[in-house]
Amino acid sequence: MRLKNLLLVGFVGACFVSCTDVEEQVYDKYPANEFYGSEEGADVALAGVYAKIGGNWDGVGYAGADNGWYDLNSMSADEQVIPHRNTGDWQLDFARLYLHSWLPTDLIINNTWNWLYSSIFNANLAVEQLENAGADQSKIAEAKVLRAFFYYLLMDDFGNVPFYTENNITVEELPQISRGELYEFVVSELEENIPDLSATKGGAFYGRFNKWAGYALLAKVYLNAEVYTGNPQWQKSLDAIEKLDEGGFSLHSGAVSDTNPLGYKYYELFGDVLPEDETILAMYVTENIVSRNIYTVRSLSGPHAQEVFGFSGWNGTIVPSAYYLAYDDNDIRKAQYVVGEQPGNVTYSLEVSNLDNPGAAPYAGVRNMKFYPVAPLDGSGASNDFPIFRYADFMLMKAECYVRLGNAADAKPLVDDVRVRAGLSALAAAPTLEYIYNERAFELNWEGHRRQDMIRFGTFSAANKFRGVSAAYRTLFPIPTSALDANQNLEQNPGY
Amino acid sequence: MENNYSTMKSISYTSNRHRSFLKTWRLAVISILISFSAFSKNTEKIISKFAVQQSVSGKVSDDAGVPMPGVNILEKGTTNGAMTDFDGNYSLTVSSPDAILLFSSIGFESVELQVKNQSYIDVTLMTLVATLDDVVVIGYGTSTKKDITGAVSSVSDEDLNQGAITNPLQQLTGKAAGVNITQTGSEPGSTPSVRIRGITSLLGGNDPLVVVDGIQGNMDLLNQVPPSEIASIDILKDASATAIYGSRGAPGVIIITTKKNRAGTSSLDYTSTASIDFIPKQLDMLNAKQWWEQARINGVPASTNHGANTDWFNILTRTGYTQNHTLSFGGGTNTFNYRASVSAILQDGIVINSSNKKFIGRITATQKALDDHLTLTMNLNSGINNTTSSVQSIGRAAFTSNLISNAYVMRPTDPVYDNTGNYYMDPNVFQYINPYAVAQTVVNEGQNNSLFGSLNAELELLKGFSVAGFGSWRKTDNVNGFFLPVKSTVAAAIDQNGFANISNSRQDEKLMNVSLKYKNTFADHKVDALVLYEYQSQTYQGNYAQARGFFNDLATYNALQLGDLSDVRPGDISSYKNDRTLASFLGRVNYSYLERYLLTLSYRRDGSSVFGANNKWGNFPAIGAAWIIDEEGFMKNQDLFDQLKLRAGYGVTGNQQGLYPQNSLSLVSAAGVTYFGGSQITNFNITQNVNEDLRWETKKQFNVGIDFGIWDRRFSGSLDAFTATTDNLLFNYTVPQPPFPYGTIAANVGSIRNRGLELAISYDLIRTDDITLTLAGNASLIDNEVLNLSGSINGVPLNTDYVSWGSNSFLIEGKPIGTFNIVQHLGKDDSNAETVVDQNGDGVIDQGVRSPDRVLEGSALPKYNFAFNPSFRYKDFDLSMVWRGSGGNKIYNGIKANLSYLENLGKSNVLQSAIPLGIYTSQYGSDLWLEDGDFIRLENVTAGYNFSFDDMKYIESVRVSLTGSNLLLITNYSGIDPELNLSGGNGFGSDNGIYPRTRTIALGLSVKLK
Repeated sequence: MRLKNLLLVGFVGACFVSCTDVEEQVYDKYPANEFYGSEEGADVALAGVYAKIGGNWDGVGYAGADNGWYDLNSMSADEQVIPHRNTGDWQLDFARLYLHSWLPTDLIINNTWNWLYSSIFNANLAVEQLENAGADQSKIAEAKVLRAFFYYLLMDDFGNVPFYTENNITVEELPQISRGELYEFVVSELEENIPDLSATKGGAFYGRFNKWAGYALLAKVYLNAEVYTGNPQWQKSLDAIEKLDEGGFSLHSGAVSDTNPLGYKYYELFGDVLPEDETILAMYVTENIVSRNIYTVRSLSGPHAQEVFGFSGWNGTIVPSAYYLAYDDNDIRKAQYVVGEQPGNVTYSLEVSNLDNPGAAPYAGVRNMKFYPVAPLDGSGASNDFPIFRYADFMLMKAECYVRLGNAADAKPLVDDVRVRAGLSALAAAPTLEYIYNERAFELNWEGHRRQDMIRFGTFSAANKFRGVSAAYRTLFPIPTSALDANQNLEQNPGY
Repeated sequence: MENNYSTMKSISYTSNRHRSFLKTWRLAVISILISFSAFSKNTEKIISKFAVQQSVSGKVSDDAGVPMPGVNILEKGTTNGAMTDFDGNYSLTVSSPDAILLFSSIGFESVELQVKNQSYIDVTLMTLVATLDDVVVIGYGTSTKKDITGAVSSVSDEDLNQGAITNPLQQLTGKAAGVNITQTGSEPGSTPSVRIRGITSLLGGNDPLVVVDGIQGNMDLLNQVPPSEIASIDILKDASATAIYGSRGAPGVIIITTKKNRAGTSSLDYTSTASIDFIPKQLDMLNAKQWWEQARINGVPASTNHGANTDWFNILTRTGYTQNHTLSFGGGTNTFNYRASVSAILQDGIVINSSNKKFIGRITATQKALDDHLTLTMNLNSGINNTTSSVQSIGRAAFTSNLISNAYVMRPTDPVYDNTGNYYMDPNVFQYINPYAVAQTVVNEGQNNSLFGSLNAELELLKGFSVAGFGSWRKTDNVNGFFLPVKSTVAAAIDQNGFANISNSRQDEKLMNVSLKYKNTFADHKVDALVLYEYQSQTYQGNYAQARGFFNDLATYNALQLGDLSDVRPGDISSYKNDRTLASFLGRVNYSYLERYLLTLSYRRDGSSVFGANNKWGNFPAIGAAWIIDEEGFMKNQDLFDQLKLRAGYGVTGNQQGLYPQNSLSLVSAAGVTYFGGSQITNFNITQNVNEDLRWETKKQFNVGIDFGIWDRRFSGSLDAFTATTDNLLFNYTVPQPPFPYGTIAANVGSIRNRGLELAISYDLIRTDDITLTLAGNASLIDNEVLNLSGSINGVPLNTDYVSWGSNSFLIEGKPIGTFNIVQHLGKDDSNAETVVDQNGDGVIDQGVRSPDRVLEGSALPKYNFAFNPSFRYKDFDLSMVWRGSGGNKIYNGIKANLSYLENLGKSNVLQSAIPLGIYTSQYGSDLWLEDGDFIRLENVTAGYNFSFDDMKYIESVRVSLTGSNLLLITNYSGIDPELNLSGGNGFGSDNGIYPRTRTIALGLSVKLK
């Protein structure tokens, strides 16, 4: 009996040493430090920032999906809207954007904010990891330019926002800076880092910020400097575009095409892989794998899309008739619009009578197929890449700068090139600002630039068919209610 | 051993009529694993006939007159003994007429008597009965009701609910104060949720620990126990009782003891129930004519009217059937016994193509050796559970719920089939689904195999001193197969040309412990002590694969390789593995002085792999004391109280359910595919933030209670009051974006308090040999309050309040969990859009969480629960009822809101009640949809008759019973049932459409064979 007790005590004693191991084992994930500490890991951190640009559900991404940045900036302008239908389809958030009656609680505003700040977190992480790994200066510069891009979008939509460049920061240490201060940061960050970016176009740099995409971004920031700071910077914008010109960009052909379903090579600019001659920065899409492009399937009605593409359409987005009617009949850019009788026993009417209550008739409204679906595609989207920056935009911006600097003569050939490519004749006289504004509408519709253009040209608040003049404070979006709830230190934009 | 106790309990209730005779008797020592039958001086039933020297024979019967085989007969002070045969007869030769014979059988009072001159001695052994001495399982051991100091509810099998039972918790509904069992809907295979003494945690850590015959597990372990094989359920409620389970004890502990065979007897029982299940209530939607009338009024175009008249709810539902069969048998001698059983629970749900088939086989065996010093007990349980489910979450973009709730959304004018005989779908409605097509074409099958076994060895080294070892191993395998073909009409299936997936998951849970136990009595001092070391490891593994683009629907999910393998997407293939370990040292001392003053001290130290690096080990002490007042001298002169006991206890318990493996580490995981450097590459993401301080939640609970029995114990009951505070509250705290990449971070901050009162009473209104009428009931009041949500994370202060916790419900400091902070309905504007009250009159309706336009309107948490359980017996007929209710809570009727906005008329149906409201649209979730959740339910009515067949050769007894469940529901709630998810998790107390709760009529049959 004694021996037994001894054995037992010995056993229990041994247990105190060997049976108290409760260390954690990880089998199916990588510890963050080890992962990002390596050179490959640093590269992955940079790729992880680009992953934020591609569109996904829940309002994530620059464009391609729904309920995010693109809808906010496109539907609050004059180029598209999703009306509520009298058949009960479509919630009213989209119509509220067009009617300039959005609420701080609206999902689309919240999604855009959260997307931008989680992107900035990833960019901060990439900068930190690349610096720690001693990565090539061009990669560090690329991560910083990406971060500046996201801050530029925040500055454009929300104005006065929280600012941080290192992730390990507390809420108390997080300042909310003014739109002007943010402008200074974005400009200096871009001026400093663009020269370090790669000059390579396409290949490994397709969809990435090379030097030319960097100058394009800088030109956009300067172009809107008056909106952001009160002080215009037309010459600086012009200078940045001249730097961009060194990249050797040109307009893609507008010739008739037998292979393009819309009939012109022009529409290759919105196809599967965007042509290198004109595209400065593209968003890569392969449906269901990397991002998605829903814009055509979202616009067409169910039976129409079913008949043409084999998948039911969403019967969503329409183009207000005034926008569509402004196009010249000879304009090849009019080919993207769909109205009247269509396959699938569908006839789209030109006009939409009502956006909210009782809503639009099922087939009311002009539709758009600019992003004519390319495979792989299904009912939830197609694989068209999305042009973030393309050269035609910058030619018109250059023309705008010339006109604003009092040099309309130099603007004319730029505008003429864009017109002639679209199958129109050259202008009889030097362009006015209003002319450039309209040409931007014809050329850049549905590419997410329209709100910014309207604010810069002072037309954003003007009345339209569905609403009166909107309040001036609507040129900035409200900081979303959930962000205010989470951070009591934040101050809401005026008017909300 | 526990098994012996349960045997006693299972047969003890027959003996009210022997009460007087038991009063003088006291159950002696009960150790944790061995029970000794006690000695009795009762000899009045011994019948002596005639005397012959030295040789003696006779027959042993039980108190019902049934012959008892396997009874041990020992000549005292010798090793000379015998055992009764199958007919209860025995014979042996004794050394002298002065010899004393000891008749013993486990579960019965032993009888000791002198042979004298008798040669033929018939003996009747009385069943052990002791209301006060009922065995209570307290975790790592047992005690008696009299000796415990904590708050423990015990329910033995004869008190459990009867009828169409598919899960053990349904048997317990309404039976224990402070133990709230909620069944949301009657989906086959779905399990009720149980909350003991309220909601004490926010991150889903409110499920009690489940212990089945010493095997520890989570709630799914309950699903693997055949309900008819349960001998008793003990629920440890307060911290002085649960602290012995340390970092897992905070939500309470449910201990199940399964039936064991009575030593020395054999048994063969068959029990079964069969029920038919109905839907008692459905929502009142517009019919085809009404819908079209309203559609026209609201400007809906005629193109939306497809001219049919379809009752979508009706074609998706049917009458359900539930069957329950158990065959059990056992046998043995005094040193060996076994019990084996096979159970089948078969359910066909009230929604078409939903069913659950469960089969459980179990065997348990006990062997004694080394002159009864060693006891070995083995348990083996194997279960198969096959489920065919309707789709759980499906719908159009604007409405996602379970499949049956989608029937409500359907326009009654839509046909089921189109002209070509295919399932109808309307291409003009975004993401249209035909729920009948989904129900008929989806394949959604789950198979769950579980196997668990345990071995317990207990060796008595010295008198009162023993050593024990216990090991258990449990393995669970789940396979789920899902196939959604194009024909289902679901957009995702059409897009992918059909898709199928298979997921496999495995759990492997091992536990071992070794313990030393000491139990002794020194004069007026009684000591029962335990030290124990325990080690548990659990491993979780699984994999998932999905394919799409099937040529046809024939192989469903069974051959993924038949899909289009060129179309592989992120997330199609995945696997995981993680594990957790828990090492524990614990000790407990139960001390009693003069059998009046009781003290329990316990201490447990737990180390767990899921705790953060800075907090690997936690300590959980508890103390409990009780004063048995009725034993005091000054109580001798009164005869009101037969029993009066005062209890008090305090303990610290933990909760680590909310912590998952790898929770405290910063980890990187794959997050789809991105395009970089000219090619598609795997994208990686940091999936969580590091928190090296992550630890268990700490719950400190103080409990006082009183147990009483008066008027010859006709009136008895318990009253408990407690206050419990959970500190280091684990929660995914909302943090701002920026600077955090995600809106939440898991951390231990904040605290919640629950205070409550619990009363359980029982009154024998009539108590005669032929008739008993007992009125029993219980009630509990609970007051929940979020004390604090702020604190610091990694040293950084965090100020959190007004956390969204569901539709318009919040966590607000100073208020209960799930407090509704909601805008008030006002009316409609000119365009019939809903308007709400602008509380601060600033002209803007602010919908921020702290908005002054919101008002507090109660909580989703019921304030009180009660149950009333009258039971009646007349001779062999019995009748019992369970009435149950709760209230003081609010329900946000989300599905009603969804089905009320007339803007949806063109694409979906609306409620009849929506017409008088006439609200076209709303930007708000207002208090128009907030309703009282009070209800009273007639949960169960059972009538039964017992036939005894003394003279039949093969049949001992037959019981026939009829049970009605959910026969009546009294409530003002306008939804289908106010008994909703009350788990306390995010979104609880909101009705977004549930699987209907059935009304069932069950016929039961139980046959005992000889």
